[in-house]
Amino acid sequence: MDSNEALSVEPILEVGEYYNLLTSQLESAYGRRHPRWVRGEVAKVYEKTHLYVDLVDAGSSSSDSKRPVLNAHCWASQWNPLKKKLAADAVSLQPGMVVTFFGYVDVYAPQGRIGFTVTEIDVAGVLGDVARRRQELIARLTQEGLLEANKRVPLCAVPLRVGLVASPQTEGYSDFTGQLLNSGFGFDIVLVKTAVQGEAAPAQIVRAIETLDQHGVDIICLVRGGGSKGDLICFDDERVARAIAVSTTPVFTGIGHTGDESVADLVAHTRSITPTKLGEEIVTLVASWYEVNVRSNAKRILNWTEALLDEATEYVAERRRTMIFAVRDRLRAERRHLVTTHQHLVIQARHLLTTAHQMLAANRQLLSAYDPKRRLAQGWSIVTGPNGAVLSSITGVRVGERVSVRLSDGTFESTIDEMKGV
Amino acid sequence: MSDIGEWREAADELNVIVRSFDEGEVSVDDLFAKLERATAIIEALEARLETTKAKVEELAPRIARAADVE
Repeated sequence: MDSNEALSVEPILEVGEYYNLLTSQLESAYGRRHPRWVRGEVAKVYEKTHLYVDLVDAGSSSSDSKRPVLNAHCWASQWNPLKKKLAADAVSLQPGMVVTFFGYVDVYAPQGRIGFTVTEIDVAGVLGDVARRRQELIARLTQEGLLEANKRVPLCAVPLRVGLVASPQTEGYSDFTGQLLNSGFGFDIVLVKTAVQGEAAPAQIVRAIETLDQHGVDIICLVRGGGSKGDLICFDDERVARAIAVSTTPVFTGIGHTGDESVADLVAHTRSITPTKLGEEIVTLVASWYEVNVRSNAKRILNWTEALLDEATEYVAERRRTMIFAVRDRLRAERRHLVTTHQHLVIQARHLLTTAHQMLAANRQLLSAYDPKRRLAQGWSIVTGPNGAVLSSITGVRVGERVSVRLSDGTFESTIDEMKGV
Repeated sequence: MSDIGEWREAADELNVIVRSFDEGEVSVDDLFAKLERATAIIEALEARLETTKAKVEELAPRIARAADVE
């Protein structure tokens, strides 16, 4: 049948009438009473009270101008409970995600579009896809050597210059900084403010990490307090993971979560389960260094100083005592020597006196033997010349001179009449 | 205060004096001179020790604060 024949058989429809016909036909087959499951890859997603998603065949190329696109939407009344269900499992619809929607056809004549009204989402399927995508990301990072890259960055011994990627006014921020600021150590915190949830967060976090990496801090800390899985989804973002991996500064994470570790945690140099815990671990690092290099050395210096002073004090006191005793001993020895000498001299003197006395007695005895009186008594006489001198020879006198003769009981004068030699 | 040189130097000199006493090498004529020198060394060492202790007393609390052993 050509077009002319059709015109003669079927009535000509106005556009609206045609859409009404089309809509009724489609709805009778695929409408509200005949919903179907449709699977596809999210090409675009947009939320403004209602959810709008462009679905394409999974794996199809965006450069393929003929690839079919299903403009799906989920009205707020349906979307809000579904959104909560997804958020509870930390899922948000993202481009590239493969999802399965349950719904029905929806023809929107004013724009000439055939759409799809979503009434249900296969959450389990979405979760599986999220997990699969996460695993694929981890596999890619592992294959590229990025999972361990930041772990190999040397960590300085005393990480006091701390680059902080966080959102101020949050508990995570105050918990983390509280640990550092109350530690007593002089931490220098360089903060780069970022969102830590929502669509803008990954790009901001990446820029913050790059900025701090250039700034010359000792470590970069990525901090976020606890939240739902949905709140923390930005830490599974591939851009964040890659920024951490290629950072030349060790990146520490303190992301509060109760479920699986985020990809950021896996890629990070060091991870802690909460901001508070991360703060504690950094303080412990510094405290350990301080203990080994400062506190223990200070204790040793104090102990050695005390020991040296004690030793020196004891030395001087001991030398003082030694000198006192040495001098006293020396003086005593000298005194003893003097006493001994004195005693010896006394003995010697006494001996000398005794000897002298004995000699004197002997001499006296000897002299007594020569006593003239004794001789005179025996009949000897002493003759003295005119000048009074004792005569022992006739040569001292002449005939006619007078001499004096002493006997034992008196003297008499005599004149020399004759002299004869013997 | 007498010039006694370094602590070690002074201690060595003092030890020599003490040893001379121990070995009975000190005559009575030398005794006073040696005792006077020994006394001067001991007093100088004590003075130096007291000065050092005073300085240590100033510094020790600061080191103790680092060591947390006050």
